[in-house]
Order: sequence, then structure tokens, then C-alpha cells
Amino acid sequence: MPAYLIPSADGLPWLTLLLLTPLLGMVLVGIAGAMRLDDRIVKLGVLAWTGVPIALAALITAGFNPNATADGQAALQFVEKIPWIDSIRVDYFMAVDGLSLPMVLLTVVMTPLGVIASWGVNTRVKTHFALLLLLEAAMLGYFVALNFFFFFIFWEFSLVPAYFLIQLWGRENRRYAAFKFFIYTMAGSVGMLLLFQVIYLATRYAGAPTFDLITLGRLGQGLPVEGVTGSLRDVIFNYMQHLGVAESLGRYPLLYTSIAFWAIFIAFAIKLAVWPFHTWLPDAYSEAPVAGSVLLSAVMSKMGAYGMLRIMLPLVPDAAQYFAPVMGGLALVGIVAGAFGALANISGDVKRLIGYTSINHMGYVMLAIAAAAALPGGASQDSRAIAINGALMQMVAHGLSTGALFYLAGALQQRTGSWELNGLGGLRTVAPTFAGVMGMAMFANLGLPGLAGFVGEFFIFRGAWATLPLFTALAVIGLIITALALLIMYQRIFLGPTGEAAQGFADLRPMELWSTVPFLVLLLILGVYPAPIMNLANAAATQLVAVFLQALS
Amino acid sequence: MSFFLQYAWLIPALPLLGFALITFTPLRRNKLASGWTATGLMGLAVVMALGLLVGVVGAGSTESHAATTTTETHGEATTETTESHGEAATETTETHGETTTATTESHGEAATEHKAAFTFPAPVVVQRFAWAPAGSTNFAMGIYVDTPVAVMLAMVTITATCIHLFSIGYMAANPRQSRFFSFISFFAAAMLLMVLADNLLLFFMAWEIMGLCSYLLIGFLYERPQAYRAAIKAFITTRIGDVLMLLGLVYLWTQAGSLAFGTAVGEIFNPEFLQRIGTETGFMGMTHATLISLLIFAGTVGKSAQFPLHVWLPDAMEGPTPVSALIHAATMVSAGVFLVARTFPIFEADGGMALQVVAIIGSFTALFAATIAVAQYDIKRILAYSTLSQLGFMVAAIGIGGWVAGMFHLLTHAFFKALLFLGSGAVIHAMEATPAIEKLHHHDEYAAQQTAQDIRNMGGLRTKLPWTFWTYTAGYLALAGIVPFAGFWSKDEILAHAMDHGHPIVYAVLTVAAFLTAFYMTRQWRLVFFGEFRGEHPVVFVNPEHQAEHHHHHGHADHHADDHGHDHGHGHIHWHESPTMTAALVVLASFAVTAGAFNLPFSMPGGHWLSHIWGQAGVGINWMVAGLSLLIASAGIAVGWFSYRNAFAKAQDTDPLDARVPTIFAMLNEKYRVDEFYNATVGRLTALLALLWSFLDRVVLDGIVNGVGHLTLFISRVNFIVDDTLLNDGPDAVADGTNAVGRQTRKLQTGRAQDYAAYVFAGTLALAMLYLYVIGK
Repeated sequence: MPAYLIPSADGLPWLTLLLLTPLLGMVLVGIAGAMRLDDRIVKLGVLAWTGVPIALAALITAGFNPNATADGQAALQFVEKIPWIDSIRVDYFMAVDGLSLPMVLLTVVMTPLGVIASWGVNTRVKTHFALLLLLEAAMLGYFVALNFFFFFIFWEFSLVPAYFLIQLWGRENRRYAAFKFFIYTMAGSVGMLLLFQVIYLATRYAGAPTFDLITLGRLGQGLPVEGVTGSLRDVIFNYMQHLGVAESLGRYPLLYTSIAFWAIFIAFAIKLAVWPFHTWLPDAYSEAPVAGSVLLSAVMSKMGAYGMLRIMLPLVPDAAQYFAPVMGGLALVGIVAGAFGALANISGDVKRLIGYTSINHMGYVMLAIAAAAALPGGASQDSRAIAINGALMQMVAHGLSTGALFYLAGALQQRTGSWELNGLGGLRTVAPTFAGVMGMAMFANLGLPGLAGFVGEFFIFRGAWATLPLFTALAVIGLIITALALLIMYQRIFLGPTGEAAQGFADLRPMELWSTVPFLVLLLILGVYPAPIMNLANAAATQLVAVFLQALS
Repeated sequence: MSFFLQYAWLIPALPLLGFALITFTPLRRNKLASGWTATGLMGLAVVMALGLLVGVVGAGSTESHAATTTTETHGEATTETTESHGEAATETTETHGETTTATTESHGEAATEHKAAFTFPAPVVVQRFAWAPAGSTNFAMGIYVDTPVAVMLAMVTITATCIHLFSIGYMAANPRQSRFFSFISFFAAAMLLMVLADNLLLFFMAWEIMGLCSYLLIGFLYERPQAYRAAIKAFITTRIGDVLMLLGLVYLWTQAGSLAFGTAVGEIFNPEFLQRIGTETGFMGMTHATLISLLIFAGTVGKSAQFPLHVWLPDAMEGPTPVSALIHAATMVSAGVFLVARTFPIFEADGGMALQVVAIIGSFTALFAATIAVAQYDIKRILAYSTLSQLGFMVAAIGIGGWVAGMFHLLTHAFFKALLFLGSGAVIHAMEATPAIEKLHHHDEYAAQQTAQDIRNMGGLRTKLPWTFWTYTAGYLALAGIVPFAGFWSKDEILAHAMDHGHPIVYAVLTVAAFLTAFYMTRQWRLVFFGEFRGEHPVVFVNPEHQAEHHHHHGHADHHADDHGHDHGHGHIHWHESPTMTAALVVLASFAVTAGAFNLPFSMPGGHWLSHIWGQAGVGINWMVAGLSLLIASAGIAVGWFSYRNAFAKAQDTDPLDARVPTIFAMLNEKYRVDEFYNATVGRLTALLALLWSFLDRVVLDGIVNGVGHLTLFISRVNFIVDDTLLNDGPDAVADGTNAVGRQTRKLQTGRAQDYAAYVFAGTLALAMLYLYVIGK
């Protein structure tokens, strides 16, 4: 194995274990169903079971060396690589690095909140909880799989449990939302699927056929790969010449990597809800059951950003650099659109409002990715690495705070029976703990310093300023308007004289309180001392952006 | 003294502990215990801060012994303490991997040439640890203590303690008193941390947390629409300045490579670095230094409520009065001034362009706000506009290079303005106990409070609240600028600096503002404490939010006679001054009287003390300026006294100024209608944009998405019909295939995602097969 692939020290397949645990949990739920166990026991069992992936992920993190680099890239660790379908070079290839480990941690931490948020589910309980575990397994698989074959299967497969969660336990308009969400994501990834067939054929033509995302990434970045000369751009271009396509479309290597770029970008941009591919998001988030909203917003939307970091930047850095201003522009529009979209919902649906703030926040992540790739303009490797660090921090922080916000919005709806912000008010008097907890989640969401969201945003702005100063300067509009929308939301729920809604409104129950406190504590710890997450990512981010130091196109 | 130097971080940690205790332990159930815990811990912080001040000044000015404690903690927790014994030079050793620097500062020399670049005194304590990785470097965080920091810490802890003490009495009747103490302790911790910050990011973080506390405390009485509206307005308005400041910080970090205070390579006050950003052009012909300074200054404009972002501060008076004293007069709002003072070398680096903007904004605000204060009736709002105006003085002072003068005024103002606010609190507290207002209180709490704050309803309180009167008078004379009270010396130093350094326009504007200050304060003082008590028949504030049986709405400024009769007997009012409240007033009053002694403009032992410990040249007294200021202040007082001597025989009378020049008075009373202007422009625009974006999403983008969806369905239907009717019977294999597609596509409509899952797998499998058996061979 090359030096940049490090198997686990003890030879145990930790990642496979991590992946199988939720699936085993599903089986256990199935057995419980066959034994006709009480729903409550199943709920408790599933909640307890979600602790196992947390423990495994913690052990993996403990054994992870964030500073390991080799051969011009961050080392992948806990590698498991077993040939699967030899004739098309599909390997069972699992590993983590600094880009994926924070996402793995986020996934395992957010799943229990999804489980707790489903406590009130009364219909088809076992199916619901089995689907949650399936969703966790699919998301984990997506973050650790490094062969396109498995990567794509997990990518698509995560849609299935999400779809059913929305379709079966959602609100009035759930059919439309679920359908839109499903088809939109699927349709968007068709291009990527086709692209990878072409890439496979091109690498085969070059003499080293592969679906291996790390090998392809090294090719794309111009790092040495055994058996191939030249970068991925040359490989694709040679193949296009071989096919004769280059004769008709033109002899511009960048043209073909650009096509590849757009195929990848659109697939992930839809998932990340980058403007103008974002309209599925408010529908899906607001129509989903609370657990669906929590997991969709906290983890699934990050799959898009992770894909960009894992595939788009390494494979087609030249095209990414060429189109960075476009990405930055879309990010900026998304930031503003999300913010004003949230403001437009201040007298409407609370979940829709939070959904729009997610669009705004994911816009910052997009801006960071665009900035990391953008033309030099004097920007150092540090600036680009800071942008990526910030993006990862922002993803983790947004996952924690939005998850908590959706959960609390669900708790609110359970009490008032409505998702509407109209007709509330004065609840702080009768539910001070509720108000305090939701206030903290809200301030974390709007990026108050001392809580994790600020660190992500500040590092993103710092990183993006070096390459895209104009977009960065305009992006601050989002910071103001989102804050306004969230503060008005809070005011409409909690402040003012006590009204009818306050009659018999119960404060947070201990279980509700203690299921949100861990997330708030994490937000606080990471806001005060972000190194635990950022140290994981820093080396990987620094190596990733090395390729962008020179003008590529 | 080394204890105080070593443990300087305890100063913010103590109130933070208070916050944690009151918020998370059963202590919160006991109002009195939480109040005294918070106050006691603040008191300990005073001890720490004074100890630190003595230690720092000793380290800096004693020729024989200069102790520098520099602790740098890196990722691997290596701690290094360096003690260096030098002459006048203090050496700071920093183990930043490769950079070792020596910061040399001339302390012993009384005067630095004023044309030379501004330098800070060397830090005495620097403690840092690695906070977050940033590519190849680590972002370090920690504390940084030099003499300006030590003086600020002393000021903040002392005023905060007085205000805590005052609040025990003032907030006694409030059921949420514990929460109040929890919030103001948290605020004090943030403010102290900001002062101690060793870099601008930590500074900004603490700055924003103060903004949070300000939001929470303005909205403390959150049942009132006025309170939560003011809270949101404060948060958003200051955030406009803050996000620009954030841009300034990322710009500065990008240019300098860090945000750390200090003159070493890679730190923001490095002379070569300042030289470079002062000459390199960034954008639109402005140098980097100008752009960075202006962006950072935007933060000041927001936080210190300078024009045009001043609108939030008067509304912030909806918060309880101790909050107005602590946050919105003494500490947080002056943090903006402290920011400019702290980053002054950057402002100076471009050769004066940025500072010119600072001077213009500051002096304009000083005059602008002073004119508004002339025509207000609310005792707190008069003080609020006075605060705006005085902050303008400080900003202008720093803008014209009067760094010491600006900081000196910041200190004295903190004491006497906190005193005035607390005094007004004592007055309001007493007014709320009067029968007319108590009766109103049962009916509408908010209206009662507003009525209690109306100076037209006061009068003659001199004899009824003697402690309050005498302490208030000390604050009033200090603010008006009467020798020898604190404000005279600091204000005079600003004016002298303006005159001596060739800023005649700034001098003139500030002098007019000083005249108005004396005038409006005399008006207030006269109406509150002299004449007959008018509160038996007050001008009643009509609350537009109140749903009760008010038939017609008339605003606060309305001069119509109150039509709700109040017939109460005289002499039953129990005027009351609480001991804790009085104690706080007395402490602050003693500072209002004596704080000028910190920087007397005379060359004598103890003279120019602040200039001396801050390592700056002292400004000598300019007898002409001093005499003129005194004359102008006296004139303001005289005009005020004689104009209002016979005014307001009863509360419903017209203000003499209103009678003379009604249009001007109305304009000032309505604050030049800036709020209305913002509502009509920015407010409307924001709402409109929100509508537009939601239209774009719902109609245009969703239209496209749904259109594509329908188009696909339509094609599949056509396909199906064609297949079904024309080709169904045909033996053509292609038709079967198409038909199958048609059938499958139709199922999209039924939303059976099981099929989709199957498709994904089938498709992937099919492609795999394709390679295996067709292409792969």
C-alpha cells in the first residue's frame, strides 16, 4: 500500500464496524418487531444503540493522527481496501481523513437527536426507527467510502430512508416535498454518474483503469500515480482525442474538465442547496417529520459540501479554479436569498424559516469552497486552508445548532399544535427554560462569538477575503438579515405579553432539556476552543489546497 | 505584585463565575443572595484590578525594576516565563517558533515627540495559548496587559461594582432580580475580557458578547413591546457596524498574518508592516491602512452610537436604569472609543486620512446629539443623548490625535455619567412611589414608568432626595465642565489639543456642543430638583401599545393637559433613598469630583499622571482655552438657569424654548426624524427585498422546477399514449422498450420510491454488467 494509506494500527476493520452497527440495529429492530415488543422498548433500545457508533467514532478519532501526510496529501487512515469487482476495478475501499472524520462525528452525534425527536411517533414506530438507523448507515458509508462505486451507492441510497421519512410521517404537503427532494437529487447526480463512467474509460485508455477516488484525486492534482503519466486532465483529453470528440468540440483540455466540473458541481450543489438549486429544501425541511428535518439539515446537506471537497476540488482543480467566481457568485446569491427568504417567513412557518437560514449558512460553506479554489490573487496556502477549515467548522456548528433548533421547533409544535409563528408570544414567562435553551441555539445559529458557528463564519470570511474580497464583503448582508429574521422569530414566540398560546404551555421536560443540552455544550466548547475539530481538518485542508497555489488553466 | 500580574485573567473570570453561580445553581432562587454574590465577586475583581494597576505602573515607571511576564503556551503546552530586569527598557521575549523580538519603550522620558509615530507602552503581561490552527500557523489567544489596559480595568471594575451595589436596592421589587444579576455579571466579564484581549479577534468576540448582554438587558422587561423592539433594534443596528468591523479584521489578518497586538514581526503594530499598509493602495485609491481603519471604525460607530448608527442608544433606555448606567453610558458604549484607541497606530498609518473621518464623525455627533438633548423631557433620554454627545467628544479627540485626551475623557465620563444615570434611577425610583404614578401603575405599568421619567412631572426634589441631589449635582457639574470637577479637566484637554494642534473647526464645534451640554444639563437639573413638585398632576404618558380604554392617543411630547384627573392628598408621599443605592452614588460622586486629578495639566508631582504612565507627552494647560471653556460652561448654565427659572409652574406648561421657536423645538424633540427616515428607506427596502426573494423562489424557481417535472410527465404521457394506441399491438421490440419506459415514468406520479431505490441499484448493476461483459473485454 502507498505511504498515504494507513490501515488501522490493530488491523481491525473499524470503519466497517462503524458502518455495520446501525445496520445491525435495524436487524434488531426487525427482531423486536417479530417478537412484538413494546414500541417504547424499541425506542429506548434504538436510542441506546445509537451510542455504539458514537463510541466507535470516538475510538477512531482517538486513534487518528491528524498531522499525518505523505506523498503530497493527507494520509488516509483506518484504511480497508479489498478488491470487490475486479474486472471493473471496484474495491471495497473505506478510510477516513481530516475532511471526512468531522462529518463522521457529526453524523453519529446527530442521529440520537433524530431518535429522540421521533419519540412522539405513534404509527409504524418500528419502521420509523429502522429507517433512522438505515439513514445513519447510508450517511456514514457515504463519508467513509472512497471508491466511486460505493460512494455513489451510499449517496443515492441515503435518499431512500429520507424519502420515506418525509413521505410517511410528514405534514400535509409531504408527497410533493418528498417527491421533489428525491427526484431533484437523483436527477442532479445523473451527470456525475455518467461522468465517472467516462473517467473510468479514460483511465482505462491511459492504462490504469480505476474508480478509486483517492487515485483519481491524486491524478487530478498532478501528484504521482503509478502507471499513469500526466494529470487527469491529460488523461481525459487523450481519451477524447481517441474517441474523436476533441476533433468536433475543440482541442481545449479545459473544456472537458469543465464539463466534468459541471457534472460534479450540479450533483453536489443540489444537495448543498446552492442557489438556484435550493427550492427543494424549504419544502423538504418543513414537510418532514422533526427527525427528518434534524437529520436532513444537520447532516445530509453537508454531504454536498463534503462531495465538493472530496471529488470536485481534487479531480478538476483547473475547472474549479476557472469557475470559482461563478461558484462564489452563486454562493453570494444563496447567502442573500437564504437570509431574505428567512425574513419573508417571520410570520409564517417556523420550520420554513429555519430552513431558509440553512440555505444562508450553506452559502457560506459554498463561498469558502469557491474561495479556496479561486485564482491566486496573492492568496497564500494558509488563506485557502483557513477557508476550508472554516467550512468544516461551519458544517459541524450548523449541524449542531440547526439540529437543536429543529428539535425545539418540534417541541414547540407539540405544545401549540401549529407550526405558525402567528398567535404565539409571551411564552418566556411560562417557559423560561425553553426560552433560554432555544435562545442559545438561535444565537449559535446566527453566529454569536463564543459559540461554534462564529468560528466557522469568521474563518470562512478570513479565507474568502484573500481571493474573493468583493463577494465576501457583500456576504455580510446575510449576517445582518439572518440575525434579524431569527431575532424576530424568537420575539414572536417568546417575548411580549403572555397571550392565549401561553395558557397551559409547559416548560421543557427534563428529557427534552437533557437531549438538547449536549448539543449546546458542544457548541459552547467548540466556540470557545475550536481546536478539537479544526486540528483534525487542518493538515488535510492544507494539502488539499496546495494545488491551487498556481494558476491552473 | 507578581500575584496580580500572574493572575490577571481572574479579573474577567470572577464576574463570569458570578454569572455561572447565579444562572446554574440554586442560588438563583434567592434574589438577595444572588445580588450580593455578584456584587461581592465584582468587588474582588476591583481588588485584583487595582493590584494589577499598581503592579503594572510599578513595572513600567520604576527605573530599576521592570518585570515582564510573558507566557506562551503552544500546542504541546510548553510554558516559558521570562523575567527581565532592565533599565527603562522592558524586553518582551516571545517564542513564536522563529521570531524573537525586543520591544523597546522609552518610559522614563516624559515627552515623546508628537510628530513621531504613536507607540504604546510595552506590555507587562502577555499570556497566550494556541487556539485554532490556520494553515501553517496557529491562531493564538490570550491576555495582554499594558498601562492603558490596567487603567481601563480599574475603571470598569469600580463602576461595575457601584452599579451592582445600586441594583440591589433598585431591582429589589423585580421578581427576576437574579436573572438581572446573572446578565450584568456576564456583561462585566465580557467587557473585562475585551479590555484584556491580546488580539482583535478575542476583542471582537467579547465585544459581540457584550452586544448580546445589551440585547438581553434592554429587553429585560420583555413583556413590553417597546422593550423587545428596542432590544432587536440595538442588536441589529450595532451588528451593521460589527459586520463591517469583522471585514476590517479579516482584511487586517490577511495583510498582517495575525491579529495580535504587539510590534513584533507578524503582529499588527509592527512598524514595517504599518509603513507598508500605509503606502500600498488597496481599493479605489485608498491605502490598505485607510480601508482597514474605516472598516474597524464602523464597529465604533455602531457600538459607540455615533451618527449615523446612533439611533439604537436612546431606545436602549427601555432597559432598567442600572443597565443604562453600566452598559449604555459607562462601559460598553465607550468600548468603541477604546477600540480606536487600541488600534490607533493603524489609524495613524495612512497619514491622517482615516483619522480625519473619525474626527468629523465624532465632532458632528457631539453637536448633533447635544442639540437633541435640549428638547427632550425624559430624564434618561436626555442623559442618553448626552452620552452620544460625550462619546462624540472622545471619538473626535482621538480623531485629532489626542489619544490621551480621548482616553482621559472616557475615564472621567464613565464615572460621572454612571453617577448621573444612577441618580436618575434614584429619582425615578422615588417618583414611582408617588400616588399619581402608583395609581397609574395598576392601570398601565409602562405608562407609569414613562410618566415617572418625565422631568416635567418632577420639581423640588432637592429637599426630598438630598443625597441624590448632592451627588447628582456633582455629576452635573462634572458633565457641564465646571472646575475642578472631573469633566472640566478631560474636556478641556480635548479642546486644548484641538486648539494646539491646528483643528479650529473641531475646536469650534466641540465648544458649541460644550455650551449646549451645560445648557441642557442645567435645564434638567433645574426642572428636577428646584421649584415646586409638579407630580401630583403629571403629564401622563399614553401608551399606544396599551389596549385599555384610552380614547385618544397623544404621544409623549404632547403638551395637552392630562384629562385623567388625579386628586390625591398632599404630603402623603414617602420619599425614600435606599442605603445601597446611596452608597453607590457617593462612591461615584467622589470620582466625579476628583477624577480630574489623574491627569492634571500641570508640571508638578502627580501631574500628567495618565500621560506619564501611558508613555505619551503631557498636554500643558492652555490658559486661554481653559478660561474660555469655563466661561462657556458658565454661560450655558446661566442661560439654562434663567430660561427655566420660572418655567413649568405646573407639569402641563409649555417649555419656554418651545414657546419661542416651536418649529425648531419640535424638530429637535422629534430627533430630526432620523428614525422615521430609516423606517421609510432601509426598513421598507428590507421588507420589499424579502418579498421579492420569496416571490423569486415560489414563482420563478419553483415554477421552473415544477415545469420541468410536468414537462417530463407530459412527454412520458404522450409516449405512453403513442405506445398504447399505435404500437401496442406491433411486434416491434423497440416499442415494448419504450412502453416499459412510459409505464415506469408514469409511476413517478404515484411517488413510489421503492421503485427508485430499485432503479438506483438496477442502474448501477446494469452499468457494472456493461463494463464486465461488453466494454471491459
